Amino acid sequence: MVVTVAAAAYATNFAVIVHPSNAVQGMSLVELGKIFKGKSPIWPTGRNITLVLREPSQPTMKFVIEKVMGVSVEEGKAALTDTSRKSSSPVVFVPADEDVVKAVEGSPGALGIVDVYNITSGVKVIKIDDKQPFDPGYTLKGH
Amino acid sequence: MRLPFERTIVIALLAGLSGAAAHAQTQKFASTKHSPNAAPAAMVKTDTIPVTTKSAEARRAYQMGITNFADLLMLDAGLDYFRQAVKDDPRFALGHAMLGFSTFDPREGERERALANKYAALASPDERLLIRWLNGTKNGQLVPAIAAMNDLLGKYPNDTEFANTVAGWLCSNEQAYDRGADLLERLLKRHPEFVPAVNNLAYCYALGGRASLSPPLMDRYVAAMPDQPNPQDSYGEISRMMGNFPAALEHYRAALKISPDFTSSQVGIASTYALMGDESNARTEYVKAIAMAKDPATIMNYRLLWAMTYFRESDIESGRKAYLEVAAEAHHKGFGVQEAEAHRTMALFNPDPKSALRDLDSARGVLAEKHVYAPGDRDSELATILQTRTYIAVRAGMPEVAKAALAPLSNMARTSRSNIVQQAYHSANGAVLVSQRLYADSISEFLDDPRGPFSLQLLAEAETKAGEPSAGHEILVRLAGINDERVETAFAVPQARAALKAGAPAAVQPSGTPEPAAAPAAAPAPAAQPIAAPATVSFSGRPRGGPLD
Repeated sequence: MVVTVAAAAYATNFAVIVHPSNAVQGMSLVELGKIFKGKSPIWPTGRNITLVLREPSQPTMKFVIEKVMGVSVEEGKAALTDTSRKSSSPVVFVPADEDVVKAVEGSPGALGIVDVYNITSGVKVIKIDDKQPFDPGYTLKGH
Repeated sequence: MRLPFERTIVIALLAGLSGAAAHAQTQKFASTKHSPNAAPAAMVKTDTIPVTTKSAEARRAYQMGITNFADLLMLDAGLDYFRQAVKDDPRFALGHAMLGFSTFDPREGERERALANKYAALASPDERLLIRWLNGTKNGQLVPAIAAMNDLLGKYPNDTEFANTVAGWLCSNEQAYDRGADLLERLLKRHPEFVPAVNNLAYCYALGGRASLSPPLMDRYVAAMPDQPNPQDSYGEISRMMGNFPAALEHYRAALKISPDFTSSQVGIASTYALMGDESNARTEYVKAIAMAKDPATIMNYRLLWAMTYFRESDIESGRKAYLEVAAEAHHKGFGVQEAEAHRTMALFNPDPKSALRDLDSARGVLAEKHVYAPGDRDSELATILQTRTYIAVRAGMPEVAKAALAPLSNMARTSRSNIVQQAYHSANGAVLVSQRLYADSISEFLDDPRGPFSLQLLAEAETKAGEPSAGHEILVRLAGINDERVETAFAVPQARAALKAGAPAAVQPSGTPEPAAAPAAAPAPAAQPIAAPATVSFSGRPRGGPLD
């Protein structure tokens, strides 16, 4: 009936989320990158940061890893799964955004990244480089 | 696009609700599954969002509004019921919010959102979440709105009406097609009998790049509601999006046979003829649609579509005359965006670039006049005017004019969260980069406007000139496959089809006049993945927001 071609690519606004009790309101992309790399493993309160992410092999994670860590997906995946960071800056991988949200809702030290359309009031969206999702020039908007 | 609903169930629902309303202040949100003998509110399972009003009449009118607007997509009737609801209970916060969310009149929307906020304290906590979502989608407070939306979806997984409305918003307003489709797929697993979700899912698939999944859903929708016009109307629109015009006409006519006053199908027939290139018939059918429509803003939008038929057949003189007539009418009635849109359209189809820029000056001048606009509508139209100015200037070889138009658009984009403003900026910036032969840089800009015909046209050129002719060709095919009512589509798509027919490399056409549309034909138009297919034009001439329509 019809000829189809590849669909247009639509940009996703990724929200960085923390537990609502977390006093942090925002951070820079550089700081977020350090958390991803395990180089900045604690919150200002001294609590350990647990990073909650979707599996790095999932297509939506490509943009996040490249943008936040400034490296290729493979390099980012290696850094995130490095066994030496297990205790000080653990990374938890879950299958879906709603699992990320649930994990962050239940963990005061957690930080996650999800498509903004999946957030709930159980998490707090923090600003990155002084901008939140949908703000003009928001850095974590990508294809 | 319209949603189905058995008339018998509507009557049954009314009976149940009116009985329940007499017993309690808090009644449950609309549910298609309430029976005629529904229990009083205190006994109703708490699986739908509460509705708080002291007036049984207001509750009944609100429920009828939901049924008509969201289920049947009898939009005018639905709006009238919402208006009646807040008239019956002026302190009915959710009624005000729903009217503000649904209305096409920006003044009414602004007023109703303010009233919803004013009386929100009288509503239940979950209604306040719903009000936050309804209002937030319109006033730019999207992050808290989305959080409230997901809270409610989690708490009321069986509120079919709410989930379907949310999915409609995600797919029609937010381009969040996968999220919308996922929500509907889950809903239909739990409630396979809720056919309005079948309709919306077909649209989410079609708009999101999975159109081949839509026709089976449409078959299911039509089979489930053989006596309702909306399934046929939806099938008509899906068929048209896919370029199958004969099927579209057949389905629209079937809808009108079931319900002769189904305006959406009447304008669907008109627009199908317009897309086929049969402009004479299109005008005749648009006139019928205009006579059938009640909402003043809808009438103005249909009038703009009617005027477009002259430009579609390259009758510039008649087109300008028609648009000037519509602009005067819009001015008289206080529809500033439609008036500006008339001037912008004249500019786009003006073969003399300098004269076109004067048309755009007129368009911008309208926005400086004292009109009432919904939040964002004025900025959206201004951004679109500036984008059009950049586009025309780049095409006409006037780089300084293009850069001058880009500057204020760039300023707007620094502070605006509007998708329309952002996409207009990225498209215009890409156009300027193309004019500077910075093709690789321009490509990422155009990708931020993946549904825009101007962007797709220039992206095809940029890809080709950047050394990727196959990518350029693919983009051109995608552009040629768009079948919708947008002004930009009417301008750019015929050029893309002509280029493909001629086997020419993707490039910007030098003149301001598009190739005439193909002659009326029974064969489907070149069809690719549908990218956008508004049932009507919006205040800004773009796909209308709100529930999928």
